[in-house]
Amino acid sequence: MKKLRWILIAIIAVLALAYGTLSYFMGGPRDVYGFLRYALPQWHKGPLRVGDTAPDFQVYSLDGQETFRLHDRMGSRPMVLIFGSYT
Amino acid sequence: MYNDYKDRADFLAIYIREAHPQDEWQMKSNVDQGVCYPQPHTLAQRVAIAEDFSKRFSFPLPLGIDDMRDTADHMYGGWPERIYILDENRKIVYQGGLGPFGFHPEEAQAWLSKRFPATQPAD
Repeated sequence: MKKLRWILIAIIAVLALAYGTLSYFMGGPRDVYGFLRYALPQWHKGPLRVGDTAPDFQVYSLDGQETFRLHDRMGSRPMVLIFGSYT
Repeated sequence: MYNDYKDRADFLAIYIREAHPQDEWQMKSNVDQGVCYPQPHTLAQRVAIAEDFSKRFSFPLPLGIDDMRDTADHMYGGWPERIYILDENRKIVYQGGLGPFGFHPEEAQAWLSKRFPATQPAD
């Protein structure tokens, strides 16, 4: 029982140290929380790799009124796709 | 990059799920720059933010807005920011790393520079 308590204390200490270290490098504990809670779950590489055929998808125009497909915008030139958002 | 190569390559920006909305992980830099929006839950909300972005920066690239199922983002692993280059045969020839640390537009520019070497004038 005593051994278990010390193991638990050690785990908590390591986690606290890790959280503190991340806080230092990420700008604060709030950013660590934000990263762990919101970013990490959706930060995924996706299934595609170089050499794969680029899958088609449909998106909306800037005014949201029309749709178009990626492949319809592709012709005889390379296509540079840039994913991102305002924030 | 766009200005340098728009006459030789096509460009398309895909507007996806917000990276640092007010109601999730808002960064101090967002507050300082007045870029404060909650995560949109409707297409109209996402369109409104994308339009604000486009107007503020007079964004010159063609832009498409991902649907609210984040279909394009999930397909390409685009969140929070990422660059791909597709060749004329629709093959992926460049896949950038995940942003922010893996987001290196200079790598895409290097690919374009190699694909379209500058022609030297004859002496």
